[in-house]
Amino acid sequence: MLSRLLIEPFTVSYMQRALLSVVLLSIMGVVCGLHVVFRRLTFLAEALQHTVFPGIVIAFLTGQSLLLGATAAAILTVVMFSLASSKTNADTDSVLAVLVTLFFGLGVVLVSRSGSFQHDLTTLVFGRLLSVSTAELVQTGVVAVVVVAVLIALHKELMLRAFDESGAKSMGYSVVTLDLVLNCLVAAVVVASVRSVGTVLMVAFIVTPALTGRMAARRVGYMLAVGLGCSLVAGWVGLGLSYELSVHRGVNLAAGATVVLLMTVMFLLVAGYQAIRRSYAPEAHNLYAPEAQDSYAPEAR
Amino acid sequence: MRALIESLQADYFRRALVEAALAGALGGLVSVHVLLRRLQFFVVALSHATFPGVVLASALGVSLFVGGSAFGLLVAGAVVLLGRERSAGDSSIVGVVVAGAFAFGVALITALPAGGRQLTAFLVGSIVTVDTGDVILTAAVLAVGVATCGLLHKELVFSAFDHAGAASMGYNKVPLDLVVLILVTLVSVSVIPAVGTLLAISLLTIPGLIARLWSDRVVSMMIIASIGGASAGVIGLCLSAIWNIAAGGAIALTGVGLLGVSLIVRQPRRWSGAITPGDRRSGAESGSALEA
Repeated sequence: MLSRLLIEPFTVSYMQRALLSVVLLSIMGVVCGLHVVFRRLTFLAEALQHTVFPGIVIAFLTGQSLLLGATAAAILTVVMFSLASSKTNADTDSVLAVLVTLFFGLGVVLVSRSGSFQHDLTTLVFGRLLSVSTAELVQTGVVAVVVVAVLIALHKELMLRAFDESGAKSMGYSVVTLDLVLNCLVAAVVVASVRSVGTVLMVAFIVTPALTGRMAARRVGYMLAVGLGCSLVAGWVGLGLSYELSVHRGVNLAAGATVVLLMTVMFLLVAGYQAIRRSYAPEAHNLYAPEAQDSYAPEAR
Repeated sequence: MRALIESLQADYFRRALVEAALAGALGGLVSVHVLLRRLQFFVVALSHATFPGVVLASALGVSLFVGGSAFGLLVAGAVVLLGRERSAGDSSIVGVVVAGAFAFGVALITALPAGGRQLTAFLVGSIVTVDTGDVILTAAVLAVGVATCGLLHKELVFSAFDHAGAASMGYNKVPLDLVVLILVTLVSVSVIPAVGTLLAISLLTIPGLIARLWSDRVVSMMIIASIGGASAGVIGLCLSAIWNIAAGGAIALTGVGLLGVSLIVRQPRRWSGAITPGDRRSGAESGSALEA
């Protein structure tokens, strides 16, 4: 029974490509996601899903690759966001809200002028994990390698900036540059998912396992391990489950959505366990939270 | 211009104008609370969170408004409940809950028989097809919004600026947070006919930001924001008739345009302060309802 769920589905070549795709997205999602959680950039990741839309519409209308359009729009968003939040000191949430309105409004207006766009819009929102091509897999792989390499190279600097902004400044690091680099990496991860799980579900790959790890562990290495474990198990079981149900049981269940639902279930289990443990051990509560834990989430500007 | 004059003679367009003005005023009124409590992310997130409710409603054949609101309220409850777990970051929780809810919606839409006809209208709005019932519903929510903001004005503003102070004076924080989240959820769902779920954020934040540039006082901000939102709705709808573009996108972009004009007219350096009203230094301390 277990082999039927976990091994048999992956003898089919499109399922192998889907699994590989999920593994790549999981790795870069968790690695990037920890920084997203530390720096409270969830809204940026969420906003990027909306702001890539006009780029994709323009690419569609001019016959360019959708990935190119999405990348261009994402870079534009990140640059505008980084500039607005560093130069004007305006509330970052409001900056993102304005950017989402501006970009998405533009996208909607462009679509309404162009006629039929329905099919690709659906692909964008829901992804099509089971028909990922080898070329797209290679693209995702390249993005994953770049993202992970940059994050490893800048690990010390980014951690310092996340937990001690003034310390980083006084040691001569350019906080603006570090922020821009991290924001660009988040954009790259979101864009890389356009053709596989869809940008909306990608936020789950970034935030959910990272937050699970963050709740379960107190050292960054362990957080990474827990997050990656959750993500990979959810990917493997989710794909297998979705295949088994769709092919043998006649219940259609979208692959990407099943994976994300499993991630969410794992998060809720960990959150529930922590809540129960805390209610039975008030002294542990005093020891680790809220003060000790709060230092892990530096105040957003 | 001729297209606009022709449209103005049609019944459906005049109804749409009323709906746009009402939705804009409603969004503007609540946008001030959205800014005070930094709920911008919550509003964006709601557009995904209501998705499973809409899919279910569409499959069961009930009103999308009911399905969307029901699921939106569930998610608001989950955010308040999980937000009490301090070890989890504030905005990250919203991200997790919403992505999970959206995945549930996607799973539902693939598993259930297709009912995607109304889906596009839900995503990007379809203001010219609103009927009298929709307009009455929006007006009713506006009345509820004005009543809530009026009756609970002191409590809501106090707890937004000074959570600890409000708690020490005996106000219970959870019900107040819930009232705001429920109000925001209802409003985001009721502006859907005008701008669609994905652009609800435009009516629920931009008018407040415009008002912030013109006033320091919460009550006058609410009035300015309501007028600003209603203007964005009406002007946007007229522009959409002139250029034959989507009304939702036009309303959103008109809002951004009004914000740009306000920025240019009212010294841009005001943006160097915190966006929250009142004393700018203490304004920065007012946390989100989702934090803490």
